[in-house]
Amino acid sequence: MPRQEHIRNFSIIAHIDHGKSTLADRILEVTGLVSDREKRDQYLDRMELERERGITIKAQSVRIPYTAKDGRKYVLNLIDTPGHVDFNYEVSRSLAACEGALLVVDASQGVEAQTLANVYLALDHNLEVIPVLNKVDLPSADADRVKHEIEESIGLDCTDAVAVSAKTGLNVDKVLEAIVERLPAPEGNLNAPLKALIFDSWYDSYQGVVVLFRVVDGVLRKGDRIKLFATERTYEVIRLGVFSPEIVDMTELGAGEVGFLCANIKELGDAKVGDTITHVDRPAEVPVEGFKEVQPMVFCGLYPTDSADYEQLKYALEKLQLNDAAFSYEPETSQALGFGFRCGFLGLLHMEIIQERLEREFQVELIATAPSVIYKIDTVDGKSSDIDNPSKLPDPTKIASLYEPFVRMDIHVPNDYVGNVLKLCEEKRGIQKNMGYIAANRVVITYELPFAEIVFDFFDRLKSGTKGYASMDYEFIDYRQSALVKLDILINGDPVDALAVIVHRDKAYHYGRALALKLKRTIPRQMFEVAIQAAIGQKIIARESISALRKNVTAKCYGGDITRKRKLLEKQKEGKKRMKRMGNVELPQEAFLAALQVGDE
Amino acid sequence: MLLYIHVPFCRRKCRYCAFHSLEMGAASAVRDYVETLLRELALWGDRMGGVPVTSVFFGGGTPSLLPARTIGAILDRARKAFAVQPGAEISMEGNPESLTKPGELRTLLAAGVNRLSMGVQCLDDALLHTLGRPHRAREALDAFRAVRAAGFQNVGMDLIWGLPGQTLRQWTNQLKEVVRLRPDHLSCYGLTLEPGTPLEDDCAAERLSLPPERAQAAMFLDGAEFLESQGYIHYEISNFARMGFQCRHNLGYWEGEDYLGLGPSAASTIGGLRWSNPEDHAAWTRQVDEGRVGTEAERLTPQTRVLELIMLRLRTARGLRVKAYRELTGRDFLRDHKRLVHMLHREGLLRIRDGYLRLTRNGMLVSNSILERLFEDTEALMALPADTPPQAPPLAAGPQAPTGLDGASSPDRPSRDTAADDAAAPSPAVPSASPPSPASGHGHD
Repeated sequence: MPRQEHIRNFSIIAHIDHGKSTLADRILEVTGLVSDREKRDQYLDRMELERERGITIKAQSVRIPYTAKDGRKYVLNLIDTPGHVDFNYEVSRSLAACEGALLVVDASQGVEAQTLANVYLALDHNLEVIPVLNKVDLPSADADRVKHEIEESIGLDCTDAVAVSAKTGLNVDKVLEAIVERLPAPEGNLNAPLKALIFDSWYDSYQGVVVLFRVVDGVLRKGDRIKLFATERTYEVIRLGVFSPEIVDMTELGAGEVGFLCANIKELGDAKVGDTITHVDRPAEVPVEGFKEVQPMVFCGLYPTDSADYEQLKYALEKLQLNDAAFSYEPETSQALGFGFRCGFLGLLHMEIIQERLEREFQVELIATAPSVIYKIDTVDGKSSDIDNPSKLPDPTKIASLYEPFVRMDIHVPNDYVGNVLKLCEEKRGIQKNMGYIAANRVVITYELPFAEIVFDFFDRLKSGTKGYASMDYEFIDYRQSALVKLDILINGDPVDALAVIVHRDKAYHYGRALALKLKRTIPRQMFEVAIQAAIGQKIIARESISALRKNVTAKCYGGDITRKRKLLEKQKEGKKRMKRMGNVELPQEAFLAALQVGDE
Repeated sequence: MLLYIHVPFCRRKCRYCAFHSLEMGAASAVRDYVETLLRELALWGDRMGGVPVTSVFFGGGTPSLLPARTIGAILDRARKAFAVQPGAEISMEGNPESLTKPGELRTLLAAGVNRLSMGVQCLDDALLHTLGRPHRAREALDAFRAVRAAGFQNVGMDLIWGLPGQTLRQWTNQLKEVVRLRPDHLSCYGLTLEPGTPLEDDCAAERLSLPPERAQAAMFLDGAEFLESQGYIHYEISNFARMGFQCRHNLGYWEGEDYLGLGPSAASTIGGLRWSNPEDHAAWTRQVDEGRVGTEAERLTPQTRVLELIMLRLRTARGLRVKAYRELTGRDFLRDHKRLVHMLHREGLLRIRDGYLRLTRNGMLVSNSILERLFEDTEALMALPADTPPQAPPLAAGPQAPTGLDGASSPDRPSRDTAADDAAAPSPAVPSASPPSPASGHGHD
């Protein structure tokens, strides 16, 4: 039998909370790879943060030896995928490394938008998909309805769907049997020039960059001289192995196999997800299809609360980037916030994760400005440029045209909430593209939306408007010309760079008024009146004022009071360390997030 | 040096008061207190050896609860211990109801008390009740006349504005009534809700509510303007006096003079060292008996001294002398705080004249906000550690010690002669006799 016959490479596709990680854990247990309490729950989720959020951010693969019911021995490679739209590209690379996938759907919930998006992605890669209905032990489970839903919405035959409970372990053995019976073995020419797809990589302080790959053609051996297509750099493989789940060193891995290598690669950016590994001496002619450079989509300014922590923030960003090439940062200076960094992220979740890790793992207190997307501008002098910071937008007279990114978004929602979703999308300048039933009471709504509108308060509002029942997925489609303007916020006549936003002209007045009001409620009274103005260019479109503080005085200060009064003042002053001074006005951190909360009222 | 004597007894605790006092109880408690106080005076007299004292202040509590001859005895002992200067201001605080007996008043006068400060607080019986004061408005007016009749030439009244339920009109009318009596000095305190007091409880539970901020501000501004029109000089945030009747003792605090505080809970600052007596009578008595009072002191850091200079001087109408700041820091105040000073000036919160910065009335009203900014900026400028470890006994250092800065740690230390004419100026002759036993513990506070 050819050496690939006994290999099965698969991923698990599921919506958050539908039980992907639990099923993976059970598979490891049932195959005897990890004993019940040997490892913490959800073995595949490496980072504490991932566990807390219940999602997998970094993919990791596990090689699982499995003896089937008929006595034949197999090697199963479970290739984990991140479960969020921000990491869509990484998901697509992981799927490209598989021949099949388990589609896990919560039998008490049904198909969600994100599931659907990933299934389509899997089908695009010609993956064989096995439907798995999870949580069938729950009283609210309705396996028949959900099967019907899967058949209707995906067109996937559910006759042989496996009904399991990952929690109790029910029928997990049947899933394993289905994997070996129904998923195809990998194909690939062992004698062809080496071609291996990188589907994940991370930085390890001892090993340098660790690369996870799937061999498509050929054989990779320890000690081989390899070349990466995208960078054209060459390395020597100094370590080769698999995770099972602990490291097992190997001397060679052939077509169809999955493993890791270390090759003294110093920077994560040198081993990009999607890139192809080949031999220096006998290179493949073409790489594995589908490589692209991942670009940050969302940007925000990150500043240390206490300017003395700048170096610490810089250090933390350097460390984080070692392990996350998708995240970018560069120094910037804000009049209001001092020295900080403009950071780029794949999406909002990615941004939140990085911010949280900075505060949690590196103990840096941060002020984050409102997130922004990348705008493209053509200036009257015929040049084009990208704008990732609203305060950098040139004077309107210098702009010939302005473009903003659009996404296509699918929203799945019970029909009771369709009205709310439509209202939200219309308000967000969306263009309706499609709407239809996927099941008796579930609707899929497709919109094209400006990404900038999503970056603001879209998700929170979608959640509240649908009582949390909506799920969505989106992808970038293109840049479109828009009537956008920069809205400046002036405090006592001085523009505050960190508060500038780019908004659509039609919404600028409403937005400016709302933002000025929000700031009025956020900024504490000062020793003098504070004027807050929203302006487009020279034109003031909204004005609020914060009346002066009238009384803040210590009545008595005699011999016995002096120490106490002094300490009180010192304490007050400490409390203000988190404030940023703009001219003589003290702005609390919340002011810089006001732009995000305008829609709350 | 200023001498402060804390008399920790009250007939009963007022509902707004957070000062240390005990309800007047057994005569033996008072007797014990007086005996310990006399020993404390003697102790300091021995330690310091006849230091000149320019003012004595009996504060409390309610000093007027002590019999006049007891006050006399205390003053006699103070004169033995220190060189109480001829013409020294000798003040006593008192409540109206205990300042009515002509015989007692004459005894006080004969004992040397030459300034009385009456806790009138307000002339509205309902508000007095709210405050938990033990007297009525009528008694206050009677007491004032009795005090004058007994021959006191320098009589002040304490008043409180911003009381729950008080209106601007009530306050200004009351000031008119008060001024008709021609007191020599008026202290007008904005009500401060001290944590843990019954009045604070009432306000927190919304059983009572303070006047709106706007009204409170008007009480301060209109009140001050009215009093000045009546010949009272607004010489400190809460204090007004006819010409020549400013309280020299209190001015001493604001101008950075050394002060020795005796009695439970009393605070002292001498030669850059600060300490407080224990509040607890037994603990205080023990310290006095063992000769340990004042042996655990905090040495004020150069930074603390600067902050206090700013905080205290800006309370006064005269203001902060730029030169005093320079002498303490070696720096230029106007340059250090240029932006803030400019803004405060523009907003009419601060004036600069003849080398002094002073807060305007509007500035005084928000003085805490101004001080927070000045504290923040000053700390950044000095970039000095906030605290130094507690130091040895206050008076253990040589005779030069109280002068100027604790120079060793300050690069900006001024020369002695320039420091001499200012806040940190030497108190004439502080230590000379044998120092008390070395401190073992940590600084308090």
